[in-house]
Amino acid sequence: MICHMFPGQPVVWGAAFQDDDSFRRIAETCCAMTGFDPQTGVSRNPALTETVKLQLFGICYSIFKSEQLASRNPPPDLLAEHSMGIYGALAAGGVLTADEAIEITFRGGMLMAETFSSDAYALGCFIGLTIPQVESIARNNSVYIANYNTSRHVLLAGIASGIESAKSEAEAAGVFSAKQFQADAPLHTPLMGEITADLWIILADYHFNEPSIPLMGHIDQQFLTAATIPEFICSELNMPVYWDKTYHALRKHGVERFIEVGFGQSLAKFNRWIDSES
Amino acid sequence: MSEELILKVKQMIIDSLRIEDMAPDEIETDAPLFGEGLGLDSIDALQLVVAMEKEFGVSVPDAATGTKVFASVRSMAEYVVEHGK
Repeated sequence: MICHMFPGQPVVWGAAFQDDDSFRRIAETCCAMTGFDPQTGVSRNPALTETVKLQLFGICYSIFKSEQLASRNPPPDLLAEHSMGIYGALAAGGVLTADEAIEITFRGGMLMAETFSSDAYALGCFIGLTIPQVESIARNNSVYIANYNTSRHVLLAGIASGIESAKSEAEAAGVFSAKQFQADAPLHTPLMGEITADLWIILADYHFNEPSIPLMGHIDQQFLTAATIPEFICSELNMPVYWDKTYHALRKHGVERFIEVGFGQSLAKFNRWIDSES
Repeated sequence: MSEELILKVKQMIIDSLRIEDMAPDEIETDAPLFGEGLGLDSIDALQLVVAMEKEFGVSVPDAATGTKVFASVRSMAEYVVEHGK
């Protein structure tokens, strides 16, 4: 069985923007809708934050890659998603159109940026410490674990000053790598409850079709349906991503090959680590 | 530095990082492994730490040491010679 897995938003800009006609078409759609051109990185919308631009680049890249794969291969047996990767997965599964997936990413991203504009938030990418160690550091610094990616790869989210002090504590504890990234909002933490009502209003503008390919959610590793997807989109922002559990569940379902449908190879590298511990 | 050890280090990198379609002799001995070169990142670095311990019995205790050790294949081989049991 083959699984297409959709990663969350990139945390930094990566390689050169795609110089490809198919990506150009997706980029033009994004630009007309949001004022941001993910092919050139140019924005004519001053309200867009760097985080929203990264989110838009991420969804456009996932749609581009998904369409490329679909043009050359049979459809995958399963879909999986990580964080903001849900929107690319919804487009791939026919739940939303590609245009709708870009639009929801944009509207949701702007909602987060506006709602949490009064404070500075950050993400902390910690590699090497154990889960109990990072959980203790998170508690000590009033921040949250946003992603349980593997036994040694964890993402924290919260107020920027808390992430900074957590990073210092992790370094003192011998963390192998700790990096801090600016973020518009404390993604995947209980603090996100503040936007739930407004996000529901946005989601009410869309019709969600049944996934044409089974799509596993990262919260409880259940397959999502048209009826459960809006609730999932709201809930996932308040809860951590459990990628390690999701990967094990996909394996149990018989997946033998994973293809990362997005920018970078982070999920493939997490999978590699999880396999090395099995 | 023996060519045999250099080759073993290259094979370890390919195996532990699951680099497909690449033979050991395609990795340049003195080329940087991070950023340019193979374009490795921190996730790869931790995987290499584990592989170094498993394959050669040497420990890379922290990221600062890792930055020096994983600068190139040659620096990895030198670290193995210096710290190997």
